[in-house]
Formats: sequence, structure tokens, C-alpha cells
Amino acid sequence: MKTPPVIRLVVRNFVANLDPITLLVMFGQPAFLIVILGTMFNQLIPTVGASGSYISFLVPGMIASQMITGAVLAGRVFWLDRRWAMVEQIFSGPYLRAEYLAALLLTALLFSLVGVGIMVLVALPLVGIPGLSLVELAVILGTIALGSLFFGGLLIAIGGRIRSANLYFTIQSLLQYFLIFISTVYYPVSSKTPEVLRVIVYANPLTYAANTVRDAFTHTFGPGDLVAGAVLASLATVAFALAVASFRKLELGPVQ
Amino acid sequence: MRRREEPGGTQTTNGPTSLGSTREVVLRVEKLGYAYSPGRFAIRNLDFEVGRGEVFGLLGRNGAGKTTTVRVLTTLLPPTEGTAYLFGKDLRRCGRAERARLGVVLQAESLDFVSVERNLTLYAFLWGVPREVAKSRAEEMLALFELEPVRSRKPWGLSGGERRRFQVARELMHDMELLFLDEPTVGLDALTRKRILEYLARRARQGLSIIFTTHILQEADQLCHRIGVLQNGRLRAHGPPAEIKRRYRGARTVEAEFERPLTDPEQADLLAVLTREGRGFVPTAVDASAIVFRADNAEDLVAQLSRWGHSRDLEVARISVREATLEEAFVNLVTDDPLANPDGSAELS
Repeated sequence: MKTPPVIRLVVRNFVANLDPITLLVMFGQPAFLIVILGTMFNQLIPTVGASGSYISFLVPGMIASQMITGAVLAGRVFWLDRRWAMVEQIFSGPYLRAEYLAALLLTALLFSLVGVGIMVLVALPLVGIPGLSLVELAVILGTIALGSLFFGGLLIAIGGRIRSANLYFTIQSLLQYFLIFISTVYYPVSSKTPEVLRVIVYANPLTYAANTVRDAFTHTFGPGDLVAGAVLASLATVAFALAVASFRKLELGPVQ
Repeated sequence: MRRREEPGGTQTTNGPTSLGSTREVVLRVEKLGYAYSPGRFAIRNLDFEVGRGEVFGLLGRNGAGKTTTVRVLTTLLPPTEGTAYLFGKDLRRCGRAERARLGVVLQAESLDFVSVERNLTLYAFLWGVPREVAKSRAEEMLALFELEPVRSRKPWGLSGGERRRFQVARELMHDMELLFLDEPTVGLDALTRKRILEYLARRARQGLSIIFTTHILQEADQLCHRIGVLQNGRLRAHGPPAEIKRRYRGARTVEAEFERPLTDPEQADLLAVLTREGRGFVPTAVDASAIVFRADNAEDLVAQLSRWGHSRDLEVARISVREATLEEAFVNLVTDDPLANPDGSAELS
């Protein structure tokens, strides 16, 4: 049986772009944060809402942030393909642009899920086995999938409109840090949080994803999370449409 | 000023390899044009055909439109006027099925961040080549393109010539019917170039059609059945290299030696006879041992030399006529006034 074109492209994305150092940096950094940040702040912060300990609060946040890691990888693959003319090489071969885009998004999703697995493994000795029901597991995976689609689509849309590697990677880094730090991944939002920051945090889709994953971990999943899921799904649809539009206008040829 | 030939004539099958009398067309280009923006044409009014097993060379100066032509014909850019038929299907409607029958070596470097060998097999995987076939073909390509010593290295660590060889080798990992090669031999040494050209000629004899752009005109002369010369995005002429040379060769060089050295009065007399007005013989070197002239009509010059020798009981000991090279014909063609006949092209039969 012939491998479907999208799967062939996904395999190629993984084989061609995953050198050990990239993997170490992309997964090592959040794993390191769980261990160090979690342990250190656990001593200082006695309890955080329904999560209990700080480390139990941090782990679901870091899991949710893996959607950014996957999206960053997809954006990197896309940009390197543009820089090294692989986009043109693939487009002049037996592939449709839609398949290439679908493969990038699938790469983002799969990479995010691998990241989720690694974060869970790293957190096991610290927080134990999370007793998740099938519904809660599905909620977590669904949230990660929508988040990957949103952030992946956004980065691909931006990457398709820029012709400079420096500019693209600067925007990507800024966006990555801005989204992670101004969200509820590392810390909760409370009544003591400054109003301006609170508005920005709640305008950040990663906040909704982190809160939903956290609620699944603490078995407090409720109607608010359904609304968050709907918002994330809408944003993912918009980002996907932006990525498609960016692909339609994609100018092939040399980039810096 | 040279006048443009009128379009017309039938396709010939002469060239480095005979194509036979019946010719299956794999690519037909009709009034093809591409404009970056309204009125800013990169290529315009291109008309040519490529048959099965034919090697078609696209020649032109930098910026003439060769790469744009390749990009349009490989569906990377949409034509803005005219069209082309790839395997009989309108280019605008060509999709996966048609592109699966193409091979494209881009001018830009294209590579994946894995070893040379892995790049070859990974590319074969992208094209759906079975694993075992890919493995044996990778070995064949590594040997053919002398990439065995660098098989484990990443392509960006290779020299410019090695990277170019790698890129051609990678494209040949899959089966195809029409191969586009955009300056495949840039930066390659003469021996490697020769090997690659011989390999391509062999593949052409087996039925592979090739569209080939190059600045090394000797290569085009050696490999191509027909060539097209682009200038300012328009096809100035196309036809077999021999015909292009014949039509645009300009003067040929004639060198002669007599049985004994010429005296000074003899040299002066010969010069006077040959440079008489209207003959079109231009001396480039005249001394006692040999004379060298450039002449549009070399045969006439040879006859004149012989007659002059007879009249003085002097035998011509050696005479040589050097044919114009494709490069000379190309220079004559592209330095001609392109505005004299801005539309259409000259097809040489």
C-alpha cells in the first residue's frame, strides 16, 4: 500500500529536522523548568487553588505550552524549507500545496503530543500518576490539538509573508515568550493581578488552553472550559484560514 | 543589421542523437508569457516544443528569462499569458499527476538537513520509490556523481561543485519523463561535467526528455538536439545547434600556409588582392609563413588563395577553415538589435 502524501511529508519533516540538539533544546528546556522551577517555587508557594502544590499547578501549564513547542517546530520546518528551496522542490513534485500545509500542521500536532508525553514522564516522579478519566484525557488532547492548530497556523501565516529569516525568527521568539509568560502557564491570575496584565492574560489563547488542561488534571472541568474550548476552536479556524491565505499568496524564490 | 528569419519550417530530428522520424511531443509551449506585474514581463511569446527523448537547451544571458521559463513550466509560477501543454494537458490544469512525471533541478540550492546519503533516500521516499529500489539507486548515484567519499556528510559542508552534483544526483533518484535542469553544471570541473553530460545523453537515448539551461555553450552544442536562445524574455531563435551556428555564425577563420615563405612584395600583393572592396575578407595575421583571414564566405577565400598561388607557381601547403562555434553564433545573435523584430521568433528548420 502506498503511503499517503501527507504522511510522507510528515515523516520527512521529522526525519529531516529533528537532530538531537534541537530535540534536547525544545524538550529539555520545559522539562528543566518543571524540575527546577517546580521544585524551587514549591518551597515558596504553599498552595495554588485547586491544584494544591505549585508543582501540580505548573505541570498542566507546561503540558499546555507544548502546543507552542510543536508550532515553533512547524514554523521552523517551513522557514528552513523556504530558505533551502525545499518548498519549491516539493511543490514541483507530486504534492499539493494543501498537503504540504496539512503536513506542517500535523507535524506541529504530533510534536506537541510527543512533548506532552515527555512532560508527563518528567513530572511523574514529582507529582505522581495523574488519575485522568477518558473524557479528561480527551479534553487535554483536544485542547493541545486545537492549540497546535492555532499557533502553528499563526506562525505559518506569518512565515509565509516574510522574506527574511532574521525577522521571522525574531517574531517567533518574541511571540513564543510573550504568549508563555503572559499566560497562566507559570502563575495563576488572581484579584491581586494588575488589571492591565489580567486583560492581556485573558486575551491570550494559551491561558484558556492552560486553564482547561489544569481543570482536567484537577477534575474540575466545567462549562467555562467548554466556552474556552469553543474560543480556541474559533481561533484555530481563523489561524488556519490565515495560513491558507498566506499559502495562496506565497511567493516562491530566494529568501534571506 | 541582421534580419530575423521568418518562423516556419518543420521540426528536424538531426542532432547529437537521432530522434527518429515520428516525434511524440511531451511539452508544447504556445505564446507563453509571465509578468511580475501588469506590463512587466519576464518572458513573453514563447513558442517551442520538446519531443520525447529530446534534449532542448535554453540559452540566454543572465536575466534573459531562462529560470522564469523553467519555473512557469514546472508549475511553480502561473503563466500570465499564453499557455503550455505538459504531456498534452494545459499547464493551468496540471496537478499532481503531471508533476509526478517531472524532475526538476532548481538553480537555487535545495537540501535537507541530513547526510548526503540520507538526503537521497529521503527524497526517494518523498517520491514514493520503494525502499530497496531507493537503496540501490542511491548507491548508483553516489558512484556516478563521485559522492561516495562524502556520503555521510551534511550537504552544506560540501564544496560548491559537490553540492551541485548532489542536487542533480538527488533528482535522478526517481523516475521521470521530462527533466528540467536549471544550470546543473555550474561550478563543476570539466571531467565531472563530461560524465554528467554523457549520463544525460544516455538517459535521453532511453527516452527521457530534458530541458537544460546553461551558460556553457559547448555543453549545449554537445548535448542538445535543439536549442532556444532567449533575449529579454523573448525567444530570438530556436532550432538544432548546427542550424543556429550556420545562420548566426558570422565570419569563419581561414588559415593558409604556402610551400615556401612569402616575400614582402608577395605578402603585399596577396593582401591587396584579398582585401579588394566587396569581398568581405578581413586579415587578422599576415606574415611570411602563414596568413589568417576572417571571411563570411570561406569557400570563396580558399578559391582566391588557390588562384593567387597558381598565378605565381606557388602551392598552398596547408589550409584550414575553422567553423564558428555555438558561442560565436550566440554572441552574434544576442548582440543583434532585438528591437528590429520584437515579436515572434525564428524557428530554424
